[in-house]
Amino acid sequence: MTASRPGVAALSTHRLSKDYGDRPALEPLDLEVPEGQHVALVGHNGSGKTTLLRMAAGLLDPSDGEVRIMGHPSGSLGARRSLSWLSDSPTFYDDLSLWEHLEYVARLHGVQDWNDKAEELLTRLQLSGRRDDVPTTFSRGLRQKAAIALGMVRPFDVLLVDEPFVGLDSNGKATLLELLDEAAAVGATLLVATHELAFVTRVTRLLALRDGAIVYDGPPADADVHSLVLPA
Amino acid sequence: MSDISLTALRDLRRTRQKHRLGNLDWFEAAYRAYLWGGFGGGSILWISSSVKDGRVNESTAASVLQHGPAVLGLLVAIAFMAGIRGGAQGGPLALEAPDVAFVMLAPVDRRRALMRPATQRLRSALFAGALAGAIVGQLAGRRLPGSLVAWAAAGALYGATTAFVWVGTALLAHTLHVPRWVATLLGLAAVAWQSAAVAWHIPGPADTAGSLGLWGWRQHPVDLVAVGLGVVAVVTGFVLLRRISLDALARRSALVAQLRFAVTMQDLRTVILLRRQLNQEHTRHRPYVRLRPARSSHSGITGTVWRRGWYGLLRFPITRLLRMAALAIGMGVLQAAVVRGTTPAFLGTAVLGFVLGLEVMEPLSQEVDQADRADAIPYPRGEIMSRHLIAPAVALLPFAVVAGAAAAITLGGTTDAIVGAAILAYPTVLGAATGGVVSIVRDMPSPFSSSNQQAFMPPEMAGFTTTIRLVWPIVVSALTTCSVLLPRLALRHGDSTTAAAMRAALGVLLVVALTGYWVRVRDALRARIRAFMEEGRAYSSGQRSSAA
Repeated sequence: MTASRPGVAALSTHRLSKDYGDRPALEPLDLEVPEGQHVALVGHNGSGKTTLLRMAAGLLDPSDGEVRIMGHPSGSLGARRSLSWLSDSPTFYDDLSLWEHLEYVARLHGVQDWNDKAEELLTRLQLSGRRDDVPTTFSRGLRQKAAIALGMVRPFDVLLVDEPFVGLDSNGKATLLELLDEAAAVGATLLVATHELAFVTRVTRLLALRDGAIVYDGPPADADVHSLVLPA
Repeated sequence: MSDISLTALRDLRRTRQKHRLGNLDWFEAAYRAYLWGGFGGGSILWISSSVKDGRVNESTAASVLQHGPAVLGLLVAIAFMAGIRGGAQGGPLALEAPDVAFVMLAPVDRRRALMRPATQRLRSALFAGALAGAIVGQLAGRRLPGSLVAWAAAGALYGATTAFVWVGTALLAHTLHVPRWVATLLGLAAVAWQSAAVAWHIPGPADTAGSLGLWGWRQHPVDLVAVGLGVVAVVTGFVLLRRISLDALARRSALVAQLRFAVTMQDLRTVILLRRQLNQEHTRHRPYVRLRPARSSHSGITGTVWRRGWYGLLRFPITRLLRMAALAIGMGVLQAAVVRGTTPAFLGTAVLGFVLGLEVMEPLSQEVDQADRADAIPYPRGEIMSRHLIAPAVALLPFAVVAGAAAAITLGGTTDAIVGAAILAYPTVLGAATGGVVSIVRDMPSPFSSSNQQAFMPPEMAGFTTTIRLVWPIVVSALTTCSVLLPRLALRHGDSTTAAAMRAALGVLLVVALTGYWVRVRDALRARIRAFMEEGRAYSSGQRSSAA
């Protein structure tokens, strides 16, 4: 965790919207996620989940409105310091080993004693034997595990995760859930877009998107999750 | 940027460089350099030696001096348009996808992190611009007053300035977040103004930059203002690097990796496709004209493929149509230059026609890209592919009119010029486009050959086939564009240019017909050759068995 700012939402959006030509991908959205909240984002394919997460990560320019991470505009230095982004399609350098990736990412984020943390992550994700291999040669599941290790090796206040369970075996899924729980336990804010409905029961807040608009925002226990992920 | 992050970035780059050098196959790299050096150097020497028409006369020289700056300035204006539009569309930088994910999302100063890719982009543009300028400059020096060295240096200075303008305007347009329509408007305004300067001899915005190209003959210190402006644009762009859009970098990163791979594989078709995606050039949702439902007479294979062709062609975006028109204008102007005595210009026409062919043959390309679907159709593949040539061939007609008009106007609009252009324009445009057809069909996966075949070739043979593979389509295009030499010869000898143009057109149409036939029977021919080889192998093996 980096230094938090009292009274500031971990993630907030104001009139945030995105359209591709004449097709709206996200309707104007006002959202506030307080610090430490554990949020699941659900919705059918094309409902706007990835668009929202990518705008929050600063990887996609909004058509209108703004996103703030810990009070900093998305993409700014402060936001990047606080935010860790786990993409649904991880990318890697094709000339660095997994260990070199970990070293690089940790050091870019100013972590000096990264070895123990990296070692622990690799052990828990069952990647220790592959630490000197180049991750671009990994299978889909191993690439996902490598991306999780890279997302977790650095400090963060807010973790944005897009479809983290795709390609993972049952051990991988269990480890990821443990890691997410541990991050939440130390006060990190999690926003996880997923189709894994079993995961939804573990969160404190459920957000459902349909055709770019929020159709449910509340505790998961009160929601009929199956109907929420159907297209209109 | 904190010191730790900066050190991490430096260390990463050092580590990656070490890995790359460690993985480099030095023998292969040297062999590639040898091939490219030999081929490239040989081509330049050949083109240079073929420009031997002697010094231009005084009136032509005076005309070059008067109109040269405006004409050369037009290229700078085009570079400005390409730069400003490219910048508004997310160029000119292209990072690797992991750099976007790890470096750009880390708490590092983006300006300092982007300085290196920006400098690399500028360096490669400067090198390419200066090299091309120097080559063209020494060609000009063979016909104009001044030494070859001075002309080459002037060409290099002009090329480098053009590169500065391109990179600088692209960086400024990107970092200042210039809307795309504004960029297009500004670019078109610059090109239109400079074109007016060429046509009506009024002062143009890029005259001083163009004037640098004539420094091999005479020097105007005021021209250095253009260099200064280019440098200022680049430096300002570098200062504003922090404002680069991560959205654009993320979008381009994946495409650029594919683009580099396609370039490595000499896959020109994919290069063009990816460049369209980089420029966010999408086909129209609705066609310009909606075709009426097919009649029963159109239900045969020819009618079906013809309609499919038009479905695609009628969805070409306006930018692609404009680009194709510009290519046609370029072809016309270059063919006129051949008639006027610059013989190697027909190679330029061939290259432009080849690119035009790749553009217009989109329906055929789509079919080649969807090889599994084409193979599932209950007709021989050649029958389908050859029918895919018909609609694009018809679609080339308006572009031939544009090319013919450009040639006739460049040649002064005389009756001979108009008649010659009218006869040769369509065959030449169609013929030059056949190079594109050869390139597309050649890349079609063949059910009869194995990709391992080339792997077992000796290096000399593999290099030779690679060169042939790359050059062959352009050679086919050049075979048709050199047809303009016939009417030129007739003009010089005082013979009928109309008759010569008709003979040339017939020759070109023969090449077109042969290419169409090759597309149709290619698979069958390959199958027959393969069967013949198998038969030969079986016979030899039988002979050995009986001898044993």
